This record gives sequence, C-alpha cells and structure tokens, in this order.
Amino acid sequence: MKVTVCIGSSCHLKGSRTVVERLKELIEEKNLGDKVELAGTFCMGNCQKDVCVTVDDNVFSITPEGVDAFFETEVIAKL
Amino acid sequence: MNSLFADIGHQSMNKYGEQLCGDHIDVLEQGDNSTVIVLADGLGSGVKASILSTLTSKIISTMMAAGLSMEECVNTIADTLPICSVRGVAYSTFTLIHLLNNQTAEIYQYDNPLIIVLRDGKHYCPPKHIHQIGDKQIYHSRIDLQENDLFIAMSDGVTHAGIGLDRKFGWEREDIIQYLESIYDPNFSAKTWATILLEEVNNLYRFKPGDDTTVCAIRLRKREVLNVMFGPPAVHEETENMISQFLASEGKHVVCGGTTSNLVADYLGKELKPNLDYYDDDIPPTATLEGMELVTEGVITVNRVLAYAKDYLKDNESYVRWGYKKDGASQLCRMMLEDATDINFFIGRAMNPAHQNPNLPISFSIKMQLIIELAKILKKIGKRVNVTYY
Repeated sequence: MKVTVCIGSSCHLKGSRTVVERLKELIEEKNLGDKVELAGTFCMGNCQKDVCVTVDDNVFSITPEGVDAFFETEVIAKL
Repeated sequence: MNSLFADIGHQSMNKYGEQLCGDHIDVLEQGDNSTVIVLADGLGSGVKASILSTLTSKIISTMMAAGLSMEECVNTIADTLPICSVRGVAYSTFTLIHLLNNQTAEIYQYDNPLIIVLRDGKHYCPPKHIHQIGDKQIYHSRIDLQENDLFIAMSDGVTHAGIGLDRKFGWEREDIIQYLESIYDPNFSAKTWATILLEEVNNLYRFKPGDDTTVCAIRLRKREVLNVMFGPPAVHEETENMISQFLASEGKHVVCGGTTSNLVADYLGKELKPNLDYYDDDIPPTATLEGMELVTEGVITVNRVLAYAKDYLKDNESYVRWGYKKDGASQLCRMMLEDATDINFFIGRAMNPAHQNPNLPISFSIKMQLIIELAKILKKIGKRVNVTYY
C-alpha cells in the first residue's frame, strides 16, 4: 500500500509536515514499514481543502489532528 | 568576457558605545570588470571620524575612477579635509584597491594596516614601492591577479584587538596571517571572510571593541552561472520554449515550485522524487530530479532565501544557519550567495490556482514581489543578475 502526502506550498501551510511526521511514527509504532510505503508529492491540485493525502488511488483530505483516525480507518483497516 | 570575477565583501563594527562608524568603505564599479575599492579610517571616532572617512573614500574613489593620478587624489584630500581642532591635522588613513579588468590590482596604502594577500591559501607578499607625496608616504603595489587570490584590507581596529586584554600588542599581523591560513577554505565567500574575521576581533575585544573595526575581503574566482526557474509561464503554450531556454543556459540549474518542477520533469521524461525529510520545520522538503542540481518548493522557500539574503547585506548573522543546513532554502542560499557569480532567473507569470485560496498568505503578487526584491538584493551583494519573464 502506498500513502502519498502532498508537500506543496498550500498543503505545507496547512500542516503537511505534522501529517508526514505523525504517519512516520505510526508506521514505525505498528511495525508496518514493509507493508506501507510513505511518499511525498508536490501539488495534486486539491489546494482548497485540508492536506491532500492519497492511499493508492483514493484521494483524502485530512487535518493534522485527524491523522490517527485516518490511519485507523483508511490504512490499517484496509491492509 | 573575462573569466575571473571579483567577489567583494565587507563588514564593520562600531567602537563600543558609538552610534556611528569612523571607518568607511566605498566600492565603485567601472564597467563589468573594473572596480575601485577604498577603505578609509577617519581620525578619532564618532561623527567626526565618520565624516572624515566618508569624504576621503568618496574623493579617492571618484577621482581614481575618473582616471586622475594618485598624487592628485592625495593632494586633494589634504587640501579638502577639515582640520581637527584638537589635533591640528586633517587626517584619514586609507587603502585603495583598483581592480583593472579583473587582471591586475593596483594597491595604494596610506597608514592603514598593510593589506594581507593569500594566494591559494598561502601568504604572498607583493613587492611594494614607496611614493612620497608631500609629507605622506604611500605604498604602491601592482599585482597580476590569479584565481583564488584573496585580499584582506582592514582598519587598525583589527590589529588593535585585544590590547591590554589577552594580547600585549594586539592582534599582530603575523598572527592574523597564521589565523587566515589555518582556516583557509577556497569556498568561503568574501562576505564570509569579513564576518569570520570580525567575529574573531570582537572576541579578542571581549565584545567591547576599543576602536571602529572594518574588514574588506576581495576574492578572485572563476565565474559560475546559476539558472533558477520559478513558476509556469502565463501562457501554457510557452512552457516548452521556457524550459528549453532554461536548460540551454550554461551553468547549474535549480527549479523552484511544485508545479514548475513537475513541468520540467515531464519535459525531461524523468521521475520527480520528493523527499520527506524536514531539516527545517518551516521549509517544505526538496525533491530530486536527474539533471537538476536542486528542486525546491516555491514561495515559502524563496521567501526564506530573501530573508537570508537581506541579512547577508547587514550583519550576516543567519549565516550560522544557512551555512550548513540541508533544507531547501539553506541549500539555495549557499548556491546563490556563495557559489554563483551570475544568476539567471527564468520567471513564469502563471497565476497558480492553488494560491488563490483567501486563507493562505501567498498570492501571485507576492511571488512577483519576491523575485523583484531578491534580484535587487543579489545585485547589491555584487552578483550579476538577469531576470526573464515568461
């Protein structure tokens, strides 16, 4: 599974650094390094919303506070 | 075009408790490759010294630039400077360096500590002749310039550093030379040299300089071109033209901006790989793209570079951060401020729909403003800057 976080200007200002760092922590905590690949991308054209994150081909918009919930429902549950 | 470039950087520190600096530096460019640099130190300190040194450096640089002889310059100074009521003399010491076509340096020195020349990191003593002008003895040297020549001119605030504290006779010439040789790095910019020396002087004075102190460094180096592409063109059809002109320009290549780097990656047919390492909390990560020296995010990164560049012109305090850090802004800063002599900007004027969100503190006009200001400051620093809009 590939989780991609937008690190473009807009998403950066909306907190993509926190999202990236929290995701890195979660993947390490749950020992999912071999199952989940974390990557970055520049602008995906969804700047009007929260931080843009894709899981394989599905697009999500998440806030830094919502990372844990997102990880549970969209990553762990679907592995 | 001459292949050598004179990188000139200077910095001053006031005598402890003084509002004004009694040293003055004047840098006057004559065409592309010739420059007149004067470092003058006015008698005493404060307002009087400041006026004396400002007048002296302006008179010399203007007259020399106009092709008048050294003798005429010195006579004019002697006749023009106001006479000090306390000491009964009109007096300002000076060091004058005239770089001709970046091939030869004519150096005239009057009563300032003698200039120190390092050639490939080793002390080099150029032959000196004494010119007697009236009652003044002026040392004259002529040097054929080589790549990596480093000239350090200074006011006596440097050599007096530490008198009565850790050093009986101040920071002596031999010791300064040894210090310079021991820290020599051919990649240090002239401004970096001036900053490092001044910091050492400040330490020796225990942070209370006993005199106005000025260091001017001149470093001869090969020209190095940096090309920076920032923003997609206003008209989409111009993209190929813009990118091909950017790539065709000789030198290093940097792309700023997410959308822009995607366009360049498409054009090159290579994969753009964003990194996820945050070396600075506020600066978005860089990306890797084959063929490009550096790929960064746009507005936020360039805004930080601008802040560093502004500081570089002042006291250069932020050098301790951008001098070694790995974030995009620090890397770009080193390439622009230290490595490059010539910077070509390829600026696209497309409106980024992503930035029109009213909740975000970035907008199209800010981006244009950033570039205009950055170009202005880089020119002040002494870079040759060229901006093309698309």
